[in-house]
Amino acid sequence: MSTQVAISDAFPSRTANWLANFRIIPRIETYPFVLNFAQKFAGKLLILALFAGGLSFATPQWIPLSLCLAMITFVPVRRRILVTVATLIFTFVVPWNTFLHPFYTSSLIIFVIMLGAVCFWLVVQFRNSVLGRHAVFFLLTGYSLFIIFAAYFPNNTPVYLAVWDLAYIFGIYVWFFAYSLQDIRATDRDGLGLQLGTYRPFWGSTHTPFAKGASYLRRIEARDGEQLAVTQLKGFKLLAWSLLISVFSKYFQLFVHGYLAIPTFPAAFVHSVQHKPDAWYMCWASLVTAFFEEVFYISIWGHRFIACCRMAGFNALRNTHRPLSARTVAEFWNSFYFYFKELLADFFFYPVFLNYFKKNKRLRIAVATFAAAGFGNAFYHFIRDLHFISELGLWRAFTAYHVYLFYCTVLAGGIAISQLRKRRPPPAGFFRGHVVPVFGVVLFYCLLHVFDYTERTYPIREHFRFVAHLINLGY
Amino acid sequence: MDQREEIRKYLQELLALKGDRQPFVDDTSLLLGGRLASVDAVDIVVFLEEKFGVDFTELGFDPTLIDSVDAIDSLIQTVKK
Repeated sequence: MSTQVAISDAFPSRTANWLANFRIIPRIETYPFVLNFAQKFAGKLLILALFAGGLSFATPQWIPLSLCLAMITFVPVRRRILVTVATLIFTFVVPWNTFLHPFYTSSLIIFVIMLGAVCFWLVVQFRNSVLGRHAVFFLLTGYSLFIIFAAYFPNNTPVYLAVWDLAYIFGIYVWFFAYSLQDIRATDRDGLGLQLGTYRPFWGSTHTPFAKGASYLRRIEARDGEQLAVTQLKGFKLLAWSLLISVFSKYFQLFVHGYLAIPTFPAAFVHSVQHKPDAWYMCWASLVTAFFEEVFYISIWGHRFIACCRMAGFNALRNTHRPLSARTVAEFWNSFYFYFKELLADFFFYPVFLNYFKKNKRLRIAVATFAAAGFGNAFYHFIRDLHFISELGLWRAFTAYHVYLFYCTVLAGGIAISQLRKRRPPPAGFFRGHVVPVFGVVLFYCLLHVFDYTERTYPIREHFRFVAHLINLGY
Repeated sequence: MDQREEIRKYLQELLALKGDRQPFVDDTSLLLGGRLASVDAVDIVVFLEEKFGVDFTELGFDPTLIDSVDAIDSLIQTVKK
């Protein structure tokens, strides 16, 4: 009897293991002959050439990007300073023709970077003062005050546009500066020259610093030829994966929106707003499709950034890592947009978690989670989308932000509950252990996606109206 | 049970909760290597505070301090000194 149980339990678990270990792209970095070849000059050249070929499908800047990667690959002892050089090239030289007013924009960027350098120098000088101990808090507060200043700056003066341009460019760099200031407390911190390479590094970033800051780069840097080969092979694989997802995503969209005629989520939402909703099952189909498209989209560019980072010799973790196998809301949040989650954890979660409610573990986790996924998330997006403030004014931009505030509150609540629930090993069996929890997580994030809205066009009742259509209720 | 053994056992349990039963050695990077996430780092912090009296308010949070058995052991030694 017990043998039978063991066998019937073992079968689904073997299936699960097989699925978990299945690789579309083989683990070439573990093949000795590939690893040896990748350490030789010809091997490096071949990997760089193949990587450049892959990049040509992904970004129009593939030539300068590949040249910078080649420069860093062949002079590994100067890797960090070359990252700074490449970053400066990608800050000023590569986008030069895309700037509307190249000299003006470059001057503003230089001014903003100098401001960041002054902040860095000040915090180094007053490391143990209140300023030094709460450097990121002062940085974010100072920037917020500047936004308020810009919002109330008279718009009939010629300086008005420059003030907003400055606010916008500082906003692009603010989280990079934050990581830089955080690094000052490290015993092995980098100087400003190397920190500069982490301010929107050449491999790509959003407003969120990819591969975090200098401290993380020091930890993940390849130390020898073998580590570099492994890291580059992993980078090459990740780019290939990004391209595969990109192709799949394209055909997926053609299939669902073309062949199956499922409306896109924005279209279905507008139909709902116009009181001409699609059928409830079409609303669900558009929502689920939008969820998967979002996962594909974020994987495509996130993998590309990290692939380039790995090619430069830094074994960074993937930005999106198997989100569709997450069994809890917190696991999904961790694996969907890793570097954004890290930003919120580094600057909001841990400062609260380590300092407040230390006597009560559950309250401590809940409050820190709300500080990060709730407040931090809302704050990040509010200061990211500055054009709403300049167009609508501060107060209207804030009140029209209520949908995203609701989203952040529910998200933080979901993550907090997920973290506070007693963790148990996954139940045996593929269905109970994987399918059921994954379905629950996807359902939660799908429903939440209705409110994942940083635009300011529709009030929250329109979002609830769409939810009502999902359960075939019309109002 | 000595200190190292206790840390090892705790990390093993933490990994098992995630369904990760792969072996690890004392210098295996668990957080930066991606086998443990920040959710798990929170549990490690609480474990170290409660069991060994490590005060992270003073130290600040640095994942490298709790990245492996070796790192945690050396952190506790430093704090004890």
